[in-house]
Amino acid sequence: QLEQELVEYFRTQVRQDPEVPSAVAAIRTLLEFLKRDQTGETILGLRENLTQTIRRLEEADSSVAVSSGGELFLRFISLTSLEHPDLSQCKKVMVERGELFLKKISLSRSKVAKLCHTFIKDGAKILTHSSSRVVLKVLESAAADKKRFTVYVTESQPDSAGQMADKLQNLNIPVTVVLDAAVGYIMEKVDLVIVGAEGVVESGGIINKIGTYQLAVCSKAHNKPFYVVAESFKFVRLYPLNQQDVPERFKYKADTLKAVEDLAEEHPMIDYTPPSLITLLFTDLGVLTPSAVSDELIKLYL
Amino acid sequence: MPGADKEADLTERIEAFLADLKRGGCGTGPIRGSGETARETTALLRKVTAQARWSSAGDLMEIIRKEGRRMTAAQPSETTVGNMVLRVLKIIREEYARSRGSSEETDQQESLHKLLTSGGLSEENFRQHFVHLKANVIEAINELLTELDGTTDNIAMQALEHIHSNEVIMTVGRSRTVEAFLKDAARKRKFHVIVAECAPFCQGHEMATNLSKASIETTVIADAAIFAVMSRVNKVIIGTQTVLANGGLRAVNGTHTVALAARHHSTPLIVCAPMFKLSPQFPNEEDTFHKFVSPHEVLPFTEGEILSKVNVHCPVFDYVPPELITLFISNIGGNAPSYIYRLMSELYHPEDHDL
Repeated sequence: QLEQELVEYFRTQVRQDPEVPSAVAAIRTLLEFLKRDQTGETILGLRENLTQTIRRLEEADSSVAVSSGGELFLRFISLTSLEHPDLSQCKKVMVERGELFLKKISLSRSKVAKLCHTFIKDGAKILTHSSSRVVLKVLESAAADKKRFTVYVTESQPDSAGQMADKLQNLNIPVTVVLDAAVGYIMEKVDLVIVGAEGVVESGGIINKIGTYQLAVCSKAHNKPFYVVAESFKFVRLYPLNQQDVPERFKYKADTLKAVEDLAEEHPMIDYTPPSLITLLFTDLGVLTPSAVSDELIKLYL
Repeated sequence: MPGADKEADLTERIEAFLADLKRGGCGTGPIRGSGETARETTALLRKVTAQARWSSAGDLMEIIRKEGRRMTAAQPSETTVGNMVLRVLKIIREEYARSRGSSEETDQQESLHKLLTSGGLSEENFRQHFVHLKANVIEAINELLTELDGTTDNIAMQALEHIHSNEVIMTVGRSRTVEAFLKDAARKRKFHVIVAECAPFCQGHEMATNLSKASIETTVIADAAIFAVMSRVNKVIIGTQTVLANGGLRAVNGTHTVALAARHHSTPLIVCAPMFKLSPQFPNEEDTFHKFVSPHEVLPFTEGEILSKVNVHCPVFDYVPPELITLFISNIGGNAPSYIYRLMSELYHPEDHDL
């Protein structure tokens, strides 16, 4: 019924605009739910329905970003409902603020790009991993700023990132695709490493496409700066201590989780990079050191 | 007319300050220490606030920003000037918010919380006029000046907690803060100091003379001997020119060597730096980093024949990454390098970071 429609809405969002971050699509879907929902009579009921919807969305797309977007929206509901205990008025305010919030976060990628491109020097050789739209935006801004640099992109199996190389070529940036296994080989040539993130965890570490941890360890060994670019809605209330600690529902694609019985046979799609390997995080809240991330999360969730 | 006179006087003072900045820090060490620069800048900004014509906080901030840009352009490596301008801008914002009666600091910073709860694209344009704003801002700037006057003493007061009897302490070059720190500890403890001379300006010599006048046992060593001597050292205490936003340092040439040697021997590295040295710059931004002076100190012009075949450079500063630093001692106490981002958010407002 309503939930099915919403999952369809979410999928259409992602299909129509491939540039939109999945967390934003999720939040937009939840806002739609707010507008369409007629059954809720109390705020508690509303929350429960929302939690259900979020769970259905997570079943459709198991990435960390959808989960963080959902949690953020729930938090948003709680904060607003504290100010306006009356349901109908609360809903009106929520819808208004929700639209405003969406408008603000649509600007966040540009904010991040503006902060980060000054760190790319003329003649730099950049290594990046897999296909990240935020990193693309950063490189686009740097190219627009008339800087000359070359980019190495990892092949990033199992769902290779050929698209990243094509997009960069369209921007006239010299790009080379390297094997995932060649990261150690290429690291001595590289000046800096920039990656995106699917989720930023409380410790200041990141959750990203499998192979990022390897990249981080290599860059630490060669003393190269390892930069992460991520928008602030990707901050997640997780605190993994090692790779095993990352919840299973994020590690595998949604279809795999539903279809397969024994997950031990499957290849994980993401890994966790600890904060000690990250030099700086560029977010729309500013340039942060990994220790500053938990501060930001506390400010929100306390 | 008295008004025009005062304005002419103010512009004259600013011009004199700018000219002095351009001449200062010519490489034989700054003609003025950073403490004096900070104090002069703040006093000048107080004068600007008192005498310039402005009707709202927004105007005042524009005027101060304009003056601040001129001052930082005169001597980009002297970051204390820029830092003081940012402090004053933050003071103005706070006083404005207090006059409006809104809950000050929490409103200021960008945060996820603010993104979610704000009811409108908050365009705080500081246009409201408040009668007492001028007096409040000037009073706050006076408080800032008192804080600046007391920084060296505040840092020196913490010396006894960190220096113990019979310790061997290493330092580099000459820092007024470290000198006061060590002299304060010497009143009650007996310890030994090794000073690296810090070529080519050799300010370590002056430091050693001053320390020995305070009856501290001092030894001067050449820079090449730093690593060799490090195994005998208990602590390294250094000063710095600037503390960067990621917790790294921009310090005098040779500091990175000392830091690496200390890391190798697991010797704690303590940095004595007052809060006005904390700058919102990050180390990788282009063109803000290096300052080179005449290579005459390295290879004198008398060696004429070699000069045509050899490139000689004389950089003034070094970058020390935050992983090599153990502790920052400032006038507000001791802090870890990973905590610097927090101190920065308390001192400066993120919108002011690019003047």
